[in-house]
Amino acid sequence: MLEAGIRKQRRGLTVEVEFSLAAGAALGLFGPSGAGKSTVLECIAGLQAPDAGYVRWNGAALFPPPAPLHRRGLGYLTQEPCLFPHLTVAENVAFGLSRPAGESVWLSEVRERLQLGECWQARAGHLSGGQARRVALARMLARRPPLLLLDEPFAGLDRAGVRELIAALLEWRTALGFALLVVDHNPDVLSRLCPTALVMLQGRELVRGTWTELAAAPDPRLRALLAPV
Amino acid sequence: MDSQALTALAGPELAPAPPPARLGWWTRLGAVGFGVLLLYPLAGLFARVGGWTWSGSARDASLASIRVSLELTGWAMLLVVLLGTPMALYIRRAGRRERLVWQAALVTSILLPPLALGILLSLALRPDGWVGSLLLQLGFVSSNSAGAFILTQVYVSMGYYVLGALLAFEALPAGLEAQAALLGAAPWQVFRRVTLPLARLGLAGALSLAWVRAIGEFGAVVITAYYPAGMPVQLWIHLQSLGMRAVMPLLVAFLCAALPIPVLIHLWGRRHA
Repeated sequence: MLEAGIRKQRRGLTVEVEFSLAAGAALGLFGPSGAGKSTVLECIAGLQAPDAGYVRWNGAALFPPPAPLHRRGLGYLTQEPCLFPHLTVAENVAFGLSRPAGESVWLSEVRERLQLGECWQARAGHLSGGQARRVALARMLARRPPLLLLDEPFAGLDRAGVRELIAALLEWRTALGFALLVVDHNPDVLSRLCPTALVMLQGRELVRGTWTELAAAPDPRLRALLAPV
Repeated sequence: MDSQALTALAGPELAPAPPPARLGWWTRLGAVGFGVLLLYPLAGLFARVGGWTWSGSARDASLASIRVSLELTGWAMLLVVLLGTPMALYIRRAGRRERLVWQAALVTSILLPPLALGILLSLALRPDGWVGSLLLQLGFVSSNSAGAFILTQVYVSMGYYVLGALLAFEALPAGLEAQAALLGAAPWQVFRRVTLPLARLGLAGALSLAWVRAIGEFGAVVITAYYPAGMPVQLWIHLQSLGMRAVMPLLVAFLCAALPIPVLIHLWGRRHA
């Protein structure tokens, strides 16, 4: 279970939220740009240190004291695929495995399921946006992390690309059973991955619940956020 | 060497070339003229100085100086890389103020006139000083020794290497090292598997610059390590005692040693980048 209580001052905005996420569950962090969603995710990933609070995963403290990034054991995916351009796709996907040679069957499965066969031996610096995003997802999933943090992973993709990536995530979630914490400002996309959402506004929690509950909430600020563009 | 020159050495990706434009013939002519003027000193190699002297004691001294320069500069570069690379990584991660202090220190070490550096270094390490006497007890002779030669070269080239390495590290795409760490790579593995391969071209440029600076150093080395004489000092000795005819063969050897090695380092870095 992920337990997080985070307080972080950030350029005139105080981000302050508290929530928990059961193993295997999915939660969306929803809100407008600048609400502090990504800050929360970065604090959990360890890219930023909270000013105060706590982050625990299955009882083990990730903060405080801040656990080193390489010992956190979680997957983190942003809109920037952050592939290693000097390595091939195969080397990128196997990067997080301690003994890739012993996991060739697993790597083949990852390659086939994410349709990376065509570009498997290509340099990662030569991929299209959609391909790069699939490779980044494959690299993260290859480690079988118990918790995935996704920060607007669909930004910049066309509709087909978004559909493809969501389908892959749902399929893999069924197979691997990881918990999912997703940041996005698009309720349509977020609701396909997460049955519940925590809505943030100006660094604070506005409301949380299922999408049906959110849609029925009377708060005009929430209605404005959920209204189709 | 200013930061722009270091940036240019660190690799073309740091300073993308402007799109090609149509150039008039007079512009090209001007550029060619500039190139000719830039390389004109090399015409001195074809000057009539009489038959070159390459025999007896002049040849022996020249060969010894070539060996001294290549061997001791190699050791100096090893020290520069081993000490300078972690220092550049440290400065890159330092806070803004601390970083400014380090950059000022590095620029100061670069801007010190070589002769002044040599005099200051020999005063700071004099045998009756506490650092010099301590080094002497440890077996390090701080003047006219191989150790003094290497130490002086380290001092004259370290600033160039660290600033170049810093630029190379700063040019890495954001987020890659953090992503590598989140994928389970320990700090040393992140450096070996991501930072080093991606910064290799810039580091090769920094090392080339440090090599040229160190092997060509005269002003500081002539004060701290007149013996064993490296190529620049031996050239000076030849010039004073034997004249241009003895200087020319060593001068060619000097150019051959000083120029191709950094070019090879740079090409190696580019090939693997």
